[in-house]
Amino acid sequence: MSVAAATPVAPVVRAEGVVKHWGRTPALAGATLAISGGVTGLLGANGSGKTTLLGLLLGLHPPDRGRLEVLGLDPTRAGPEVRERVGYSPEHHSLPGDVKAVDFVRHIAELHGLPRREATGRASDVLWQVGLGEERVRPLGTMSTGQRQRVKLAQAIVHDPVLVLLDEPTEGLDPVQRDDMLRLIARIGADFGIHVLLSSHVLDEVERVCDNAVILHAGQVVAAGPLDELRSGGGGVVVEVDGDVRPVVDALRGRGATLHWDGTRLYVSGPQDGPALDVVEVADLVRDVLADLGVAVRRLQPRTLTLEEVFLGAGRTGGQAVEVADPAPQPAVGG
Amino acid sequence: MTARILDRGYRRYSGERRGVVGAVRTLVLHSVQRALGLRRSAWAKVLPFGTVLLAYVPAIVFVGVVSLFPAREIRDLVLPSYASYFGYVQLLVVLFVAFVAPEILCTDRRTGMLGVYLASPLTRDTYLVAKALATAGVLAFVTIGPPLVMLVAFIIQGEGPDGPGDVALTLARIFGAGLAISVLYTAFSMGLSSLTDRKAFATAGLILFFLMSNVVTGVLVGALGLAENAIVLNIFFLPFALVEKIHGESVRFPDVTTAACVLGALAWTMVWAAVCRSRYAHLQVTR
Repeated sequence: MSVAAATPVAPVVRAEGVVKHWGRTPALAGATLAISGGVTGLLGANGSGKTTLLGLLLGLHPPDRGRLEVLGLDPTRAGPEVRERVGYSPEHHSLPGDVKAVDFVRHIAELHGLPRREATGRASDVLWQVGLGEERVRPLGTMSTGQRQRVKLAQAIVHDPVLVLLDEPTEGLDPVQRDDMLRLIARIGADFGIHVLLSSHVLDEVERVCDNAVILHAGQVVAAGPLDELRSGGGGVVVEVDGDVRPVVDALRGRGATLHWDGTRLYVSGPQDGPALDVVEVADLVRDVLADLGVAVRRLQPRTLTLEEVFLGAGRTGGQAVEVADPAPQPAVGG
Repeated sequence: MTARILDRGYRRYSGERRGVVGAVRTLVLHSVQRALGLRRSAWAKVLPFGTVLLAYVPAIVFVGVVSLFPAREIRDLVLPSYASYFGYVQLLVVLFVAFVAPEILCTDRRTGMLGVYLASPLTRDTYLVAKALATAGVLAFVTIGPPLVMLVAFIIQGEGPDGPGDVALTLARIFGAGLAISVLYTAFSMGLSSLTDRKAFATAGLILFFLMSNVVTGVLVGALGLAENAIVLNIFFLPFALVEKIHGESVRFPDVTTAACVLGALAWTMVWAAVCRSRYAHLQVTR
């Protein structure tokens, strides 16, 4: 958990019913979300509206409908003020090849309003921070994809933003470079105190570095919140018994529980029809059944989901936004 | 024992931020440097520096001649006027125009830097203002500088402006004429460059447009017998006709009216500026 996320703060990003079309193609179809800080993953398949949402948050395009707020400001009306306090690392890898890394990063710092001397010092410092201290005078065109991704990260944080938006920052990296990049991103959130919105379609990355996640599908937010909450969304318990599971299954079904099993491991939740049971009540039910049957138990614990299960459970694994006549308001959930 | 720095730490910044004005200033300077090849390879400097140098060569030669030869020997030497000087360097100016705006404008879209710039306090409009200032500033090296050197030549020869009022008027005409060429060609070259993100295509397009407008106007005036004012359609000659009017000379374009030149220059400038602005207003920049 990052320092930023541990401190209760007002949402750094808020969106309500945001609709955006590119021509006649809908990109966002009523997205509603609230992000309170820390490192947040923006998950979704290609075409789900992630990059469009980042563009709207930067005030680069106005939404067709809906309301946006970044750091308490409307980016459509106060774009320059928002962008002065926000860093952005784009998805593409192409940067001016004949410019030295330190000159490039210093230039971006000056663009964000830092005086020349301060920009020069900070450019060198952040290049050291991202592991390019020795390489900082190399032209960008001679750098590897991994190094260019680090330069993009450096230019996104050189002006000490409150929030940084990273669009697919591990795109094109090999596994080792990817690990390094993820460690850096986690450090930006935890040590530097900068809120991070990490756009990615790689579930594992978000799971490893993020405190919160927002899952986009077809231009709408289908799940959002702290990762712990999202992963506990499956409800129920996991129980591993010593011996034959058949009597346990029959007894639990007899008491209305919903379950499936894999070998000696059972995944048990409350009845599908009838009053909902919380985790403790389900655990009590399982304990009573096991005690009645005299079956030994090896493990009994609340069931957690992987982010992949959350993503799949949100029902959708891909696809572009579809037109909605009047998008129903979605619950705003924050990290 | 040697000390090693293991972690330089991350410093927060709470100092001054210069906002939009600072961003525009930074982008202007960066774009001028880029167009002139500064902080880039030696090869990138050849074309801009070569062109600028060549544009100054006639003026420097004239200064050399009037400086080195005795006054009595050059008394009857007629130096080219401020407006007619452009007859020597017009082709160079046009080639410089065809090179500068594509370098300043197309590169950002080609490399994806446009998205990075617009993620700063710059807006699309302030970005274009910065690019226009940079383009006009670089073009001023060849539209204002050489006539200033010519002024030095005239002063050495004893044919320069007489008195402070005359000096001020001459300087105003030199700067006004240079700016007129720069502004018109800035709008034109940026407008056309906004249509492609490839520098080579933009440069070729600009040169082709210069040639075509020259040919079309030649046909209209020569074969169809249209009035000389039809030169307002010729973007290759129009700025230089305007320069003649600003300097109050009638050397190459005596039959073209001042009003036609001014209206033509305004029309070209506004049309191409509108093309450029419209193009950028609709660009999707986050990909």
